[in-house]
Amino acid sequence: MVGQDYKKGESEAGLDYGWRFQGKPVLLPEDRSAIVDGSSHLMQMALTEMSKEYFSVERCLQCGMCTEACPNTMLNTNSRFSPRKFIQELRLGLIDFSGEDLWFCTNCGSCVSVCPYEIPFIDVMKDLRNLVIEQGAGYLPQSLKSAISSCRRYQNPWMEDPNKRADWSKTLNILTLKKDNTDGVLLFVGCLPSYDERGKKIAKAATLLLDKAGINFDFLGEKEVCCGDGILRSGDYRTFEKLKKINTESFEKRGIKKVYTISPHCFDVMKNHYFEKNEDKFLVAPFILLLYEMLTEGRLKINKPINKIVTFHDPCFLSKHNHIVSEPREILKSLPGIELREMEHHSVKSICCGGGGGGIWLDRKKGERLTEIRLEETLSTKADILVTACPLCLSMLEDTVKNDNRFEPIEVMDICELVLEGI
Amino acid sequence: MRVLVLGGGITGLKTAFTLSEFDIETIIVEKSSEIGGKVKRYDKIFPDFRSGKNLVKNLIASARNSPNITVLENSTVTNVAKNNRSYTASLSDGKIIEVDAIILTCGFEVFDATRQPEYGYSVYPNVITSMELESFLNPEGPTKGKLLRPSDGKVAKRIAIIFCVGSRNMKIGNPYCSRICCSYSTKQAIEIKENDEEAMVTCFYMDIRTYGRGFEEMYQYAQEIGVKYIRGRVSECSVLPDGNIQVRAENTLLGKPVQGVFDLVSLSVGMMPCVDAEELAGIFGIERGKDGFFLSKDDDLFPHDTSKEGVFLAGSITGLKPIRDCFLDAMSVSGRVVSYLTDLYKNR
Ligand SMILES: Cc1cc2nc3c(=O)[nH]c(=O)nc-3n(C[C@H](O)[C@H](O)[C@H](O)COP(=O)(O)OP(=O)(O)OC[C@H]3O[C@@H](n4cnc5c(N)ncnc54)[C@H](O)[C@@H]3O)c2cc1C
Ligand code: SF4
Ligand code: SF4
Ligand code: SF4
Repeated sequence: MVGQDYKKGESEAGLDYGWRFQGKPVLLPEDRSAIVDGSSHLMQMALTEMSKEYFSVERCLQCGMCTEACPNTMLNTNSRFSPRKFIQELRLGLIDFSGEDLWFCTNCGSCVSVCPYEIPFIDVMKDLRNLVIEQGAGYLPQSLKSAISSCRRYQNPWMEDPNKRADWSKTLNILTLKKDNTDGVLLFVGCLPSYDERGKKIAKAATLLLDKAGINFDFLGEKEVCCGDGILRSGDYRTFEKLKKINTESFEKRGIKKVYTISPHCFDVMKNHYFEKNEDKFLVAPFILLLYEMLTEGRLKINKPINKIVTFHDPCFLSKHNHIVSEPREILKSLPGIELREMEHHSVKSICCGGGGGGIWLDRKKGERLTEIRLEETLSTKADILVTACPLCLSMLEDTVKNDNRFEPIEVMDICELVLEGI
Repeated sequence: MRVLVLGGGITGLKTAFTLSEFDIETIIVEKSSEIGGKVKRYDKIFPDFRSGKNLVKNLIASARNSPNITVLENSTVTNVAKNNRSYTASLSDGKIIEVDAIILTCGFEVFDATRQPEYGYSVYPNVITSMELESFLNPEGPTKGKLLRPSDGKVAKRIAIIFCVGSRNMKIGNPYCSRICCSYSTKQAIEIKENDEEAMVTCFYMDIRTYGRGFEEMYQYAQEIGVKYIRGRVSECSVLPDGNIQVRAENTLLGKPVQGVFDLVSLSVGMMPCVDAEELAGIFGIERGKDGFFLSKDDDLFPHDTSKEGVFLAGSITGLKPIRDCFLDAMSVSGRVVSYLTDLYKNR
């Protein structure tokens, strides 16, 4: 590569981008923010409570690439929400926390993936939401409020009875759903597949696939609680820590070494916030990678051709956040009879369904739902089935399909369900 | 007294020429098959729009005519050994030369636009780089000065220029501003407009950094003749079935998304250290900054000296400079080398 040795390194104070002034590294705003002493202003002290990332907004170039990439600006409502503008108002102290703006961001990660100055906008949002939740600094939508209090009381966002969390599995007669000989491999089901009628079908499909492949796995049953992804991204750090503690203690007690999650959200939050310090102790991966393995290793045999045209909606927490884009496509292509067509935005450029970052708990008006953009792209592929690999995406997309007759011809399926059809 | 000048761009040529006026013998060692560097490809140069080609032609002619200057093309230094006071340099063509001092004038390299795949360079034929645009604007170039689209040879009427490609970007590891792309892009926009009144040129920029004397005036003039400037960094180019390029950005001054369709898109690529920077640093045992460009001993007091006695730097090898600053560099390094040689010979 041409003269490219401009590598980032760690300096004493933080990331070193090679800027030097008088021989010393020039600190980034967020590194500077960490340096506070007794004489610092009270406000500054309060701000240091916020994560280091928050201060990165100081270096924003106001270039607008994030806004261009943000799915919210693709709505016909004409860009009500712009991350660039949001950052500028934030810097000028003009953010109106009493408005809805703070809750529009779905944490999809598009902005972060294009930002030339690597500003972690999602973390900034998280900290601001934390101000609202923990210090009552502004407006919190009612539906989000109830999801949060439900997580505090019932360890799931839908006021469901924790004792009924494993009910979905009771009607299944699966031998592999047992607690011994599992080599510490656990299937983490998640809230939606545990309680939601539609979601349960995904949980069942996933377990049936494991059964057919003859893989023994552990399962927490009623002991499982919400992974906390939506709660963390909504800014409720305390509740998140509680949920995390319950789950990690269960993992330890049962000697779990490897966790497969049905939802990419559970995967992402565990990878980045559960096991950060325990990387060797636990491994976490999304179920789709196990499915891919089961198929490529020949443990699952597909015999029935499924003669359908499909398109794949990339869940944000697989694609943009974790760069898992080829495996789902290879799975689909390996199914006999399936024709895969891509939407205009796909893989890491995929558009969010609106369900992330607590978005699934918000009521967005017709015409303001991100799913509509996605489903319009689906229509133009003329696919029979819109396949996805995340219970939240599935729920968001199917809801819109049901409530908008424009999208009637589209069938929404989880990839597990589709694979199961072929067996 | 004999000096090796490595790199025959404008800096190297002007340095050799200045030294020759002091009756100092120079050997220009140029890697490519022809001296002249990048400027020999520019029809016009900012800020005064004189001919870059002619400027270089004259420099080449005076170098070739000077009895003090020897030009060795298709050659470079592969090894140097310091003797008591002189250097023995081995060249790639097998020659071995003995010199009193060495001046490195190897210039810069432009950023490889394929490293920002969102712009589709090398995938969409109608997305070109500013370097290619220079040759399109050259009446002696491949298109005889016409802006013909690579995809179908049609005359391009709607042109977008995207600034800051490969610069001011931490993600790709180049946080620095390349300093001259704002100015050369504005120059190119003016050239397009002046060649073809009907052409529409839209520049997508983040900040306009036309910092030099006369540069800002050039920017004002561009706006006067109708070059459009939109403040917003382009996030993506996509191709339409007819080969047109769709560009998306946010107009950050209005807070509104903009989408435009263009016949041709030029990427204003930033500057990278010269291709052999790493190797040269090794051969000469001298330092480079984190940005990869070479470091002088002291930016203020010894801007041309390196940590090795008798090895000097000039021109864009220490960071991008417009042509006039390269000339200034060439003349000041000559002064420095003359004083160095005088000292060297006084003590003999
Ligand atoms: C698209 C574009 C348009 C521009 N327009 C203008 C303008 O209008 N006005 C202006 O003022 N500036 C302009 N510039 C800037 C201008 O190009 C530079 O200022 C100038 O080229 C610097 O000259 P140089 O001699 O330092 O380097 P170069 O022009 O890069 O010359 C370096 C020479 O060294 C040789 N070399 C490299 N490595 C070795 C080696 N290892 N051994 C031997 N030889 C080697 C190279 O082959 C080359 O001949 C423009 C730049 C670009 C990219
Ligand atoms: S992309 Fe990054 S630098 Fe540009 S406006 Fe957005 S946050 Fe700021
Ligand atoms: S994370 Fe997604 S929704 Fe949130 S600001 Fe960034 S691009 Fe927009
Ligand atoms: S000179 Fe202008 S185009 Fe070049 S990097 Fe700097 S701001 Fe960007």
